[in-house]
Amino acid sequence: MKSRDFSRSLWVFHLNTGSCNGCDIEILAALTPRYDVERFGMKLVGSPRHADVLLVTGPVTRDMEDKLKRVYAQTPDPKVVMVVGNCGNTGDVFYESYNLAGPADRLIPVDVYVPGCPPRPEAVIYGVVKAWKLLEEGKRR
Amino acid sequence: MNANDVRDSFKRRFAGRIMAARTEIIKHKLKQVRHASRVWITVDSGELKNAVRHLCKITEHPHFIVISGYEKGKYLELTYHFSLNYASVMEEVVLSIKVRVSKENPVLPTITDLIPGALISEREMQEMLGVRIKGIPDSRRIFLHPGFPQGVYPWRRDETGPARLVRNLHKGGGR
Amino acid sequence: MRKAGDIIGQESRDTYSICVGPVHPALKEPVRLNLRVRGERIEHVDFELSQVHRGIEWMGTRRNPIQILYLSERICGICNICHTFAFCRAVESIAGIEVPPRARYIRTIVAELERIHSHILWAGVAAHELGFDSAMHYAFRAREKVLDVIENLTGNRIMKAIMMIGGVRRDMDKGQARLVMEAADFYSRCSRKLEKIFLGDPVIKSRTRDTGILTRHDCLALCSVGPTARASGVRKDVRQDEPYGAYPDVGVKAMTPDEITGETRGDVYDRIAVRLREIKQSADIIGRCVKDMPEGKIAHEDKANVLLGELRGVQGEGIGRHEAPRGEVFHYVKLVGEEAPYSWKVRAPTYNNLLSWIPMMLGAQIADIPVIAASIDPCMSCTNRAVVTGPGRRQVLGQDMLHDLSVKRTRELRRGLRP
Repeated sequence: MKSRDFSRSLWVFHLNTGSCNGCDIEILAALTPRYDVERFGMKLVGSPRHADVLLVTGPVTRDMEDKLKRVYAQTPDPKVVMVVGNCGNTGDVFYESYNLAGPADRLIPVDVYVPGCPPRPEAVIYGVVKAWKLLEEGKRR
Repeated sequence: MNANDVRDSFKRRFAGRIMAARTEIIKHKLKQVRHASRVWITVDSGELKNAVRHLCKITEHPHFIVISGYEKGKYLELTYHFSLNYASVMEEVVLSIKVRVSKENPVLPTITDLIPGALISEREMQEMLGVRIKGIPDSRRIFLHPGFPQGVYPWRRDETGPARLVRNLHKGGGR
Repeated sequence: MRKAGDIIGQESRDTYSICVGPVHPALKEPVRLNLRVRGERIEHVDFELSQVHRGIEWMGTRRNPIQILYLSERICGICNICHTFAFCRAVESIAGIEVPPRARYIRTIVAELERIHSHILWAGVAAHELGFDSAMHYAFRAREKVLDVIENLTGNRIMKAIMMIGGVRRDMDKGQARLVMEAADFYSRCSRKLEKIFLGDPVIKSRTRDTGILTRHDCLALCSVGPTARASGVRKDVRQDEPYGAYPDVGVKAMTPDEITGETRGDVYDRIAVRLREIKQSADIIGRCVKDMPEGKIAHEDKANVLLGELRGVQGEGIGRHEAPRGEVFHYVKLVGEEAPYSWKVRAPTYNNLLSWIPMMLGAQIADIPVIAASIDPCMSCTNRAVVTGPGRRQVLGQDMLHDLSVKRTRELRRGLRP
């Protein structure tokens, strides 16, 4: 794909499904002055209905299972689902529990996996760029 | 009031009804030697309320830390942790009062009338260990969501434990 | 017995319920607030905490103590040193392990770096809730420096993985010591500037003064900890009451608002003041630790398998405590001579501080919810979504809308303050 400019800005909805906050503050760091993805017009939005990208962190607790599915359904198509952090990808240290329903891709379709515990802001940005490419190329759901 | 005073005061008040009492001083060998004081007391479950009442008498505003608990054979053991003499330089004492209740009839009185801050912990003990707290002002669940199966207590090790709910996320497979 | 539904059942024509939450990240601090309001005034506060229960304490009873170190680090990503620190202290007290002095100093430095990062993060979030996004971006830019230093010392920005039972895993060389000193100087200055921004601003002052008051009496009854308690005038600080690590040599004094503003009111403004001054305090502690750092070993035992073998033969119960950025962290561990601990109980500071929301919020306005909720630093982001229900109406209040309400109130106040 040739596109060098961002033909549209991605709006991201961030859903925490039981994460430890580690990924969440790195996502925040990606948005604030040093990494500053807001200069590309990317921003976190307060409702999934406004979002292009659904960003999921955490190993999905029993309580959040239904909420994750509902938020996924509320995000309008075309959309990309991104899971940030090891515990959302595989369960990681929380691999065995009585109160976890995850990992996230067991419950909803996931397009971009960002590994790391927590991933660096650069990795989060790299993941967002991949998500953006998927949207631009039309390989979205 | 140092650790030994606290222990002796409980021994005097509950003569014969205290099952065990010990103090533990952890020394820190740095330039200035400092220590951490711990008092461990085991009382009969019927005396728990009186012990907390006594604690409120010998010290103003004991700081309630948390209740820890586990299952041990036919019994449940709960430990109430308090901190005394806080807000003073290195005179703090951590007091742990241990009680034991049988699994057949695990009932303990609430201490929220004496220390309101104990509410969250008492609610946690009800759902995690299946202890019934008599007189608790709010007996709803707190950390387990309402859809969590009834009669399953995550911290128990017997058949009422969480074994049948445990999932291994690494072996989860696809949707 | 009260049930969740009762709150809605108690509605009359002029009161209605608001739920704030439930998406809120932390160990056990995820929260959903159910409020009953009459007009703008909050009349009843209740919360649910089930969303992020991962069963970590249960997992701990199936792993060995060194595996638990990495598990306890992931209880909370913001204050990950505090849980490993408290867990290490608990296990060390059972096994009678003496931590070498140099390791104690390194532990203290890393713990204080974490406090700086956490308090600045909190200042940024608080500024955001008040509608001062420029102050938020300033705070976040300032925070990057401490993350760089942490990365240099431990190899990671967030999960430090530096603690080990009986010591630390990485030593500090001269170059790193210089970096840490530079950072300490920087944050001394930065704390002054943040104080000027936050405490000197008339709008922030009128927005936070006498908002969300926690009286000394309520604070003692509800057993609050950390900056929340200190802002109400309770000089409770584990670093002062029961010094550990390098704190006995440094001599920490609990910070209360009367030393900063001359009076103690226990409101949101006081909590801001205490946290910002603690940044300076932490920078001073770090400076002293680097200067006085003793030489020597950094761990009781280098080989993990030897250490595990040693711990396998140990029996007893122990308590580990640490003053985390949000208050006291308490770990109870019971070892019975097996691979895994028999019981492990974690008490994070927000566990105790949540109850203090009730007196703070009663009588406050809806627009103050984000500010008050943030003021105890509950591992924030709880105000994600709110649903307003009432007889005959149902309206969804998003995070945006709640945030907008808060920002609008700040603007109104600012207009009122203009001469």
